[in-house]
Amino acid sequence: MERNPMRRQLASLRKSLFDQGYLDEQFMELEQLQDDANPNFVEEVVTLYYRDSARLILNLDHALERRPLDFSKLDGLMHQFKGSSSSIGAKKVKAESTLFREYCKYGNAEGCMRTFQQLKKEYATLRKKLETYFQLARQIGPMESANRPK
Amino acid sequence: MAPTLPSGDQASDQDNWDNGRLAHKRQLLTEIVLRNRLTALVVGGDTTCRVLEQLLLRSYGVQTQGVDNGRDAIALIASGVKFNLIIIDMILSVLNGLEATRQIRDMGVHCKMLGVTACSGESERQAFLAAGVDVFIEKPLDPEHLVPILRELDGQ
Repeated sequence: MERNPMRRQLASLRKSLFDQGYLDEQFMELEQLQDDANPNFVEEVVTLYYRDSARLILNLDHALERRPLDFSKLDGLMHQFKGSSSSIGAKKVKAESTLFREYCKYGNAEGCMRTFQQLKKEYATLRKKLETYFQLARQIGPMESANRPK
Repeated sequence: MAPTLPSGDQASDQDNWDNGRLAHKRQLLTEIVLRNRLTALVVGGDTTCRVLEQLLLRSYGVQTQGVDNGRDAIALIASGVKFNLIIIDMILSVLNGLEATRQIRDMGVHCKMLGVTACSGESERQAFLAAGVDVFIEKPLDPEHLVPILRELDGQ
């Protein structure tokens, strides 16, 4: 029986991220690479992702302002963004990226713009949820070390 | 093997399934011990993907270098550095993955090349294979695809 309420809360939060479709099993692969030598590895990778992908989001925003739309360029940018998002297991973000690329393929400007707005929402929502998750994980981390049997 | 989720929670069927799959993947992750010193080059324009691919390779003991564009990959190989494995992204700056792959093969490099891309459409797959990669996979690179390749390179 899990006695630590914070640990229970963390587990519940983690489970909800998968159950609600925000994350897929790639996130578990990242967790596999985390160990005592790299205790904050997952958070560091996610931070890297948000820092790295911010540039792509900005470029996509600018590209979507141009008229006429360059669907080939948009597709290329989103291709990169999708790859990056899939590497951290960002399931909903990845789904919107795929949809966006479909709209690019058919030259559907309205579809691209609508999907991009939804993508940005999912991207921001995931960021908030992961920030909460990592904040709680960091609080638990030092407690676990203190309580570990010597 | 310790479960990933705390034992205090009532394990649902989904949790058991997740734990089972995770255990299987962990087995894949830990069951390879390389007998030989392998080296790999990761050519990836996206920092997050490149960092993760390098870390995954290093977790298996593969000595890994990374570059973020095709031109630097060509230059590194032209300088005489040898690799057992090259993992190359389709989308690269300066020189794209397809052209970089062709040039690497034209240089007489015969090592295993693994092409990675965010989307695994048939046309992309065919193009990458035609350019010279041996294996084509959709991102993200995972142990299920990587471990068999490492076993093959290690002669296991």
